[in-house]
Amino acid sequence: MKTVSRAFGAAAILASVLAQGCAGDPGRPKTFSTNWVDDQGRSISDVQMRLRGARPGASTDLVVSVGGNDDKIIGTPLGGGSQWTATHALDARPIIAGGVVVVSGGKEVAAFEAASGKKLWARPTGGLPLLGAGDDGNITAVSLARGDGSTLLIVGRDGSVKRQIETDKAIGDPAVVAGVVFVPWSNQYVSAIDASSGDEIGRVVVRDKVSRALTIGGTLYFGEMAFVRFDDQISQASRGKANRVGLPSRELPGTPRLLVPGTEKVPPAANARDRDRLFGRPSGDSTPLGIDSGRFYANYYRLVFGFESQGGNLAWVRTHAHELIGGEAVQGGIVLCDEEGRILVLDAQTGQLAAEKAIGEPIKSCVVHADTYQAPKPSTSAPSLGQQITDAVTVREATLATAQRLLLRELATLEDESATKTLIDIASDPRSVPVLVADARAALATRRNGSSHMLAALGRHYDYLHDVLSSPPVGPIADALAAMKDPKAAPLLAAHLLDPHITDDDVKRAAGALAAIGTDKEMPQLKQFFAMYRGTAPTDEVAVAVGSVAEAMLRIDPKGARPIVEAASKDSMTHPVVRARIEALLTAVPSKGEAAKPAGDKPAGDKPAGDKPAPDKGAPDKPADKAATPKRN
Amino acid sequence: MISRKVDMRATTSSRIQACRHVALAVVVSLAGATSAAAQPAKPAAAKPAAKVDVGPAVQKLKSGDEGQIRAALDDLRIAGTGASAAAPAVVDALSRGLNEALAQQAIDTLADLESADGSAILAQYSRHRTVAMRRAAVKALTRTKGAAAAPALRKALGDSDAQVRGNAAAGLGMMKAKDAVPDLFVALDHKVHEAASSIGQLCNAEQCDQLATKLGKLPFEVVTSGLDPILFRPTAEVSDDTKIKVLGRLRELGTGEANRFLKDVETRLPKEASARIKQAVEQAVKATSGGSQ
Repeated sequence: MKTVSRAFGAAAILASVLAQGCAGDPGRPKTFSTNWVDDQGRSISDVQMRLRGARPGASTDLVVSVGGNDDKIIGTPLGGGSQWTATHALDARPIIAGGVVVVSGGKEVAAFEAASGKKLWARPTGGLPLLGAGDDGNITAVSLARGDGSTLLIVGRDGSVKRQIETDKAIGDPAVVAGVVFVPWSNQYVSAIDASSGDEIGRVVVRDKVSRALTIGGTLYFGEMAFVRFDDQISQASRGKANRVGLPSRELPGTPRLLVPGTEKVPPAANARDRDRLFGRPSGDSTPLGIDSGRFYANYYRLVFGFESQGGNLAWVRTHAHELIGGEAVQGGIVLCDEEGRILVLDAQTGQLAAEKAIGEPIKSCVVHADTYQAPKPSTSAPSLGQQITDAVTVREATLATAQRLLLRELATLEDESATKTLIDIASDPRSVPVLVADARAALATRRNGSSHMLAALGRHYDYLHDVLSSPPVGPIADALAAMKDPKAAPLLAAHLLDPHITDDDVKRAAGALAAIGTDKEMPQLKQFFAMYRGTAPTDEVAVAVGSVAEAMLRIDPKGARPIVEAASKDSMTHPVVRARIEALLTAVPSKGEAAKPAGDKPAGDKPAGDKPAPDKGAPDKPADKAATPKRN
Repeated sequence: MISRKVDMRATTSSRIQACRHVALAVVVSLAGATSAAAQPAKPAAAKPAAKVDVGPAVQKLKSGDEGQIRAALDDLRIAGTGASAAAPAVVDALSRGLNEALAQQAIDTLADLESADGSAILAQYSRHRTVAMRRAAVKALTRTKGAAAAPALRKALGDSDAQVRGNAAAGLGMMKAKDAVPDLFVALDHKVHEAASSIGQLCNAEQCDQLATKLGKLPFEVVTSGLDPILFRPTAEVSDDTKIKVLGRLRELGTGEANRFLKDVETRLPKEASARIKQAVEQAVKATSGGSQ
């Protein structure tokens, strides 16, 4: 068997070489030759003319999963039809190509009928890694990696090898349309090879990186980073004028890829790359070429994101119970598989579950191909985007932190008051990932709505006895409420000022806020804090807070507070940072005093001599305390 | 009213000597307090300390000078409760604000003065950001007592520092803060083990039995640190029925450590203990004598 195969292989190579050598038309490129001069699209235009009206092979709407011990192939039709199972050793991810499923393993490549799982043929490969496959219903083209070069194998339905083309070029994932094999190679060319003669009958230079030829919904595309449509504009590709669509550039969780490079062997079991992917489906024959349903998608472990294809704005995010390890964009949505063996169909517009199927067992990976399948409309309406983000960011899993940080930034842009609550919850929860806490605090400080949630949070204090083991994010809330000039905030902030369990930074910011919005009702706490910490401030941040409290006292009760502050400024026991601050304040505030200004107004003496003007007390990111802060000796 | 002049310019050595006496007195006093929990209650026989002229110390406290304040606080600590009249002046100094070392010293001084006048300011310092300050303030509150003390100690049960929580729990027992028993149970369930002893000193019949039900759930020595005082409290406070119920729980436990504890109780039972209690203890010792280790 091996001998026969080898003999056939040698004959095929000879035929291929002869075919290349004998190509009569001097304008036609020699197969995979690099001395070819761009023919300005003439040859590919000829191919396009020849194939006009031809459609890629059978439509396939199928999910193929790898199960068992990397040796079980499960085919699950997306539409009607029964699920099938086949067994074959696997050293690469199965490929759905037209009407067949191509697999590699056990030193052979084999094809199964996509509709039934029936084994059609198998050919020895000597263990060469499978890269890609295309099929038009009659022949199957398979690309295999061979050292730095490649082998293109063209096999008939009966398993006979029609062509075997060896090349020292790195070829990618081929597609077949009406007997013509389209082979991307060297990241820039797509050669059209006549399967019957082995001749390269046309070539196109694509300005995008290209390593895959794909048939999607009956249309042929080339690409890797974007989709270039094979249509009557393809002859303009070398001038960058082919019909092309890519995904807008935007911040994404991780570093997802739209398409795996066609020159890369994909392992049978899903890896981290499969848990962080981009999905988009070109819109088909419409002009201009766009992205189906105006949506592209990303998965990140168990999160799925839907983005607007125009502008890239986040449209929805869905939190799934299990990690998502494969999928594909389909018409009107996206099909995804999870590691537990569930197939989900999500609606493009809302991200809601439109359909669901069970494979019946946990799976290692899956591939999806959908030509005609259309995602049904979901029966449930979607919660608000704020709620969707909340659901996603409150999952306590360190692996999700990267995506959750992105979502927090999205959340911070929403006017929804519930967004404020979510930020507070994350910043308050001791189980939150530290980096998320920092992000949530930063975002919270810039909020200008949701004050009721902020005030409610300030009502909570650390209490070991009642299992309240973290304080609310007092500092950021203080910044936000001071900027909003919320009068209800002052007494709550004053209470936190005297709570030893908030951080030094929170103390500083609470005091800064009270300098802006404190009233005479908070004077007892302000005086207590001033007396208690003017000489015992454990850190410079607390010392700065004492300065802010002095500022508040002088603003609220200039006559009563001035003697206290003056005495402190002359006392050697006063912390040097505090002394510098209050000396500056006293210099700036007229000694005869003025009537207390309304809460929120800028204090009269807020410009320490020789210093820059103090920033707006309402600005949360610009603390009031900018007076000189000398270090302790 | 007895009055005694104290030479505020005493030599350092005599001060240290005096300090030693004070320290010894405190140790003896604390030891008494500790053993009181383990022994039958006896009427307090402590003699009130002689009053001291605190005028010079108060003047120094008002001076605003760091050195003079330090000296005044030294003097007052040496004088102890006899100088309690100076407590308002110490409170005033703390209220105006001191540096860390002096604030700490002032807190300790208020503890030594044992004046209720100090409790309000100590309650404030029991919430200071510096944990050492909180620990000192909580300890001091158990000695000053006063209206602000119990609420402050109850709040301190929820502190993030274990020592503050423990001191607060112990202090509530020493202060006979019976209202705090529910909080002390919550604290005990949160591993504030010092709460057990305080519960034992303060509990009513139902609460005492509730503590006994913790046997087998919390470390034995923790629970018995509360059961021990129950067994030795006067019958007017804890009835024989309640004590017998507690003994029954220990008997049910049947372990070697229960047996050792009961034997120890047996040896310490006062002569005036009722025959029922004596018999119950004796039977419990017998019943647990074959207990597992």
